[in-house]
Amino acid sequence: MAPSLALFALVYLYPVAYSAWVSFTEWDLVQPARYVGLANYRALCSSEFFEVLRNTAAYSVGVVLLSQGLGLVLAALLNDRSRVAALFQASIFSSYVVSWVAVSLLWIWLLDPQYGLIAAVLSSVGLRAVDWLGDHRLALLSLVLVTVWKSVGYPMVIYLAALQAIPGDLHEAAALGGAGGWQRFRHVTWPLLTPTTLFLSITLTIASFQGFDVVKIMTQGGPVASTMIYVYYIYEQAFQYFKLGKASAAVVVLFTLILALTALQWWLLRRRVHYAQ
Amino acid sequence: MRRTWVALLCGAVLLLVPAVPAAPQGPVVAQFWYAFGGKNREVTEAYIKQFNDSQSKYRIEGAFQGDYFQALAKIRAAAATKTAPAVFHVIGEAIPQLAAAGLFEPLESYVKGPNGTRLDDFLPGQTQHTYFDYLGKPAASLVALPFFRSTPILFYNADLLAQKGVKPPTTWDEMREASAQLTVREGSDVKVYGFEVPIDWWFWLAMLHQAGGTLVTPDGKRAAFRDKGTEALQFWVDLVNRDKTMKRPPGKDYNAWEVTNTDFLNQRAAMIYTSTAFLNHMTQNAKFKLGTAFLPGKVKQAVPTGGTFFVIARDAPTPQKEAGWAFVKWMTDPAQTASLSQATGYMPIRLSAINSPEMLDFFKANPNYKTAIDQLRTAHKFPYTPALIEIQREVIQPHLEAAVLGLKTAGEVMEAAEAKANEILARY
Repeated sequence: MAPSLALFALVYLYPVAYSAWVSFTEWDLVQPARYVGLANYRALCSSEFFEVLRNTAAYSVGVVLLSQGLGLVLAALLNDRSRVAALFQASIFSSYVVSWVAVSLLWIWLLDPQYGLIAAVLSSVGLRAVDWLGDHRLALLSLVLVTVWKSVGYPMVIYLAALQAIPGDLHEAAALGGAGGWQRFRHVTWPLLTPTTLFLSITLTIASFQGFDVVKIMTQGGPVASTMIYVYYIYEQAFQYFKLGKASAAVVVLFTLILALTALQWWLLRRRVHYAQ
Repeated sequence: MRRTWVALLCGAVLLLVPAVPAAPQGPVVAQFWYAFGGKNREVTEAYIKQFNDSQSKYRIEGAFQGDYFQALAKIRAAAATKTAPAVFHVIGEAIPQLAAAGLFEPLESYVKGPNGTRLDDFLPGQTQHTYFDYLGKPAASLVALPFFRSTPILFYNADLLAQKGVKPPTTWDEMREASAQLTVREGSDVKVYGFEVPIDWWFWLAMLHQAGGTLVTPDGKRAAFRDKGTEALQFWVDLVNRDKTMKRPPGKDYNAWEVTNTDFLNQRAAMIYTSTAFLNHMTQNAKFKLGTAFLPGKVKQAVPTGGTFFVIARDAPTPQKEAGWAFVKWMTDPAQTASLSQATGYMPIRLSAINSPEMLDFFKANPNYKTAIDQLRTAHKFPYTPALIEIQREVIQPHLEAAVLGLKTAGEVMEAAEAKANEILARY
């Protein structure tokens, strides 16, 4: 216990505390850091940062709702032990374990408005090519869809496990009582899935708030700042503009935000969570 | 219990490692970080090997660090932890700020020392002192020697131009007209764009100077780019949105450059601006007759220079600094610079290399390689201020796109940029 705690403190707690300290300084990595009080936090109160928050919220809501909803639908459809279902489960889950870089590069090629497969398909049915990543009105949505495509296997697998854990006699009893398919889902399945839904919405929200690779590879926050989401913003402040203080202030704010959001989700969903036992 | 032992053992090993003395014999090993990917990375590695094979005193270990800006981030992070390599590459714009932070070893004594080099043989416009305008102050100490140096040039598809009877443009007006003539439409779709250029600081800076503007006032105290910078940006806005003859390549920084090059090679764009650094790549891959020309002018012709300089880390141990210098000196010698230029498209940096019979023959056979060198006489200098890199990276580069996308007017972008630039300049 003690050695792993020491390791945890060294590689996790110490950097967290250090970045909290850096957030009160002005530091560009090459000149000595200078204490500036709350200046970095004040600098975050800008339209630029609010746009980042808006983008992050839109990305996060899109990813969480879509991947969770789609994950549940897929799990319900594939909830049997046939070989075909297993094949679909495996292929849907496989993109979840592929590296972000590979997925991002793949989608850059697929989405390319001139040379991409999707553009070719669209133009073969007489539709105009869409500039998925180059149009500032579409770029964030495109990233949401790519993220959902990549990560939907995760909620699907978790939901599958949860579905299979629901005792069959409950369904049987409901069916005997005359409940139809939808009623059984609504009154038996769904209530028993609420712990899973709570777990997924928390983990997916945290993961989507930490989204970075897809932006770094596919759009670098552009066009203009339309896909500038939180962690990429931190990276840009720190390693493009070398404003380590401002970046660290954003880190502290993110930490607080995620903590608050998790608490809120916990509280909201707890009131509606039903445990089987 | 067992885990505790493993942890203790690991700790003990970690403590012991630095205590093992380095073997005293063998060559001095020094690290070198560079920022050239693809073909130019292979070339760089081949020359590092040549240097190592050419003598036995020093061994240079090269490491590719991503594009210029990724490399810059790694250098700064390494400097913060005192693990910077002995030699590395930096772009010119970053020199004043990093020099002010004391990262660089002054090179004057090396240049004049026993293994020195002849500064007067370097091409004007290429050395640190001819790259920078010291804004009326005495020249800063010499810390950088030029290496792979470039200018933007106009690349054109000579076959497409000949088909349409268009001559390479020499002015903005001709550029606009040529782009219109070269654009091929099919319904509302554009099959071939007349022109394409990354919405990038470097090309904007060229056009700012072509329009008769400068980045800062002669004393360097205030920004001075608002009016002419607006004119430059408006030219792109008009070509993209009004004429619809120029493609705005998507992607940030070098992603947009890659799109531009690809479109040109695939004959989706008839003319592009890009660096002469891609000349070898273009020549090898173009399935059409490739032409190059100076960038068109407005009230005058002007281009910035680009590419990288060699610098030596001040914090490196003396033997490694010596190894680094030996390598820098060798790489910038006339023989190396001549053959490096032919392999890449970067300019040779030595007068004696350019005037050597070998290079004169090469230029005769490959006149495209001469364009950038001839264009150097129109090159403008960069203001020597630590604010320069911040103005480039934060104030100008990320905001140019907003005007071309129609989210803001060119005037609004430049007004905000100038205000921000003045704020930064006031700090220095």
